[in-house]
Amino acid sequence: MLRFILIRLGQAIPILLAIYTITFFMVRAAPGGPFSQERKVAPHILEQQMEYYGFNDPTYIQYFRTLWQHISFDFPPLTSYPGLTSKDIILDTFPVSLELGILAMFVAIAIGLPVGILAAAKKNSLLDYAPMSFAMIGICLPTFVIGPLLALLLGVWLGWLNISGWFSWSDRILPALTLGLFYAAYIARLTRGGMLEALNMDYIRSARAKGASERAVVLVHALRGGIMPVISFFGPALAGLISGSFVVETIFQVPGLGRHFIQAALSRDHSLILSTVLFYAALIIIANMVVDIAQVMLNPKLRYG
Amino acid sequence: MSVQIELETEAQPRSPWKDAWFKLSENRLAMIGLGVFLIMVSLCYASPLFYPHSPTFQTLSFGATPPLTMAIEVRYDAEAIEPDETITPKEFSDLYAENPASDVTRIRDGEILDINGIVFRKSPKIHLLGTDSHGRDLMARIFQGGRISLGVGFLATFVSLLIGVLYGSISGYVGGKTDAFMMRLVDILYALPFLILVILLMVVFEGSDHQLLLIFLAIGAVEWLTMARIVRGQVVNLKNQEFIEAAKATGVRTHVIILRHLAPNILGPVIVYATLLIPAVMLLESTLSFLGLGVQPPNASWGTLIKEGAEKMMVFPWLLIVPAAFFSITLFSMNFLGDGLRDALDVKSSKD
Repeated sequence: MLRFILIRLGQAIPILLAIYTITFFMVRAAPGGPFSQERKVAPHILEQQMEYYGFNDPTYIQYFRTLWQHISFDFPPLTSYPGLTSKDIILDTFPVSLELGILAMFVAIAIGLPVGILAAAKKNSLLDYAPMSFAMIGICLPTFVIGPLLALLLGVWLGWLNISGWFSWSDRILPALTLGLFYAAYIARLTRGGMLEALNMDYIRSARAKGASERAVVLVHALRGGIMPVISFFGPALAGLISGSFVVETIFQVPGLGRHFIQAALSRDHSLILSTVLFYAALIIIANMVVDIAQVMLNPKLRYG
Repeated sequence: MSVQIELETEAQPRSPWKDAWFKLSENRLAMIGLGVFLIMVSLCYASPLFYPHSPTFQTLSFGATPPLTMAIEVRYDAEAIEPDETITPKEFSDLYAENPASDVTRIRDGEILDINGIVFRKSPKIHLLGTDSHGRDLMARIFQGGRISLGVGFLATFVSLLIGVLYGSISGYVGGKTDAFMMRLVDILYALPFLILVILLMVVFEGSDHQLLLIFLAIGAVEWLTMARIVRGQVVNLKNQEFIEAAKATGVRTHVIILRHLAPNILGPVIVYATLLIPAVMLLESTLSFLGLGVQPPNASWGTLIKEGAEKMMVFPWLLIVPAAFFSITLFSMNFLGDGLRDALDVKSSKD
């Protein structure tokens, strides 16, 4: 197991380096520097700023300097938030995104898993068709349609919740629901598929033959195998959660990292874009690794095979 | 009343494509999807020919009127052909009407009113879905936005098709170390969230003159990964099959093998994936536009319309609901059509 983790970590280094290089040259290639969009400043001040942020140095020096800054966690000052570094922004805003993501995943599992299990257990009944049609809708409808519509319904017409902000616990409901519903739908479909496959296995027949109750068969015996597709979905789901957080944080004015990344892209803050992309990439690599390990631990076939 | 029974039907050989079409036409959901999609496309692209309102023309007095609002033509000279002004019923009853409640109803019923020498009548051009906050006809804007959203969907899908098929078939055909390297690259790109990559590309291209062109290039440049995987898998599978070997052995020339034996077998999955890719691309484009990184005003796409609607939903909910409905219906129809095609062409679901 340790060897496995070490190999995966070793593979992560060239990937991160490649992502760093691509991102670095992409933001450099972008027209207009970080100062071009703001109001006009006097040329000597602009010159001073360019010097201060190191934009006057040759590109290769900037490339290696920024690389070293990221390796040593000593981040350069930001152009869009003077006095702060990417580390400050990420440490400040990522917990918010993390909270949103965890809540959304909780919503997704709390809705998706039972619905999927029930649909598989009562295959081809109303309990199967009705939720699965809803799941299809949930997958087709984009977040930025569901979000405002939910806000309109629950926030404006019914007046139960605030439509934006991130202050009280009730402000968490709309963003988490919006982000979670898509995954709820997806998890419901995956669970149903996995459970149906598992329920057809021989060991389920054995369990029934030895007299296990239907409840035990479904929830104990079948679930262990049936849940595997859901577990392997968590890796890609994280990437989706990150993309989703861009939209959801923008809709509901949540002060998370996703919104800051969009802001950084809009205001051409080179170092914030770069740091955030690297941060997200590292996060995804780690998450995929954890998912792989979890799969190996849950599935004896992979452990000994 | 005679019932004709054809006793002898000639057994016609059916090509796999006809077979697929038959299966598809049996699938009701998919056919509805196809119909809705065709209607949507023709409405969007043909609307300038018959729809009376322009998506850019602003009637200032018509800021954000709800659907089916009647427009009232104002003529200071009863004989004038063109009205001097068009106003909303609210304006009419606030400013001109002697008897606000009944006058509006009378105009709605088609009566021509003459109040103090000013002639009022119902305008034949009503704003079917109301207007946006700048007084532009919402329906016309939705059609215009649809042209851009659908156009980006088609073109980006075409770009990703081109890249994906080329990349995948080279990788699959050459095989060996080249294949391993090319697919490893795809894996790495897969690990990045698509949206981050597209956002980076948009930042690179932002503000250039051909922004629309660049949007679908950017999206196409990202969405080809799955296509490349599918095509590669197919090519690797087919390359070693007996019928290809047999064709080679009987001396069929290479380009004939590729066109006649390889291409039709790859085409099925490619068509299915492309059909499902169009709504996915439209979704991506709209998400970008929603975030402010995609289509820029005065152009509109369904994403920017939904964004505008979401900003104003507290007061003018139809500005959100109507574009969202158009967008969702189109996405649904494409997804149903794609699923139907998948069944009809008997393509095993891809592992993405």
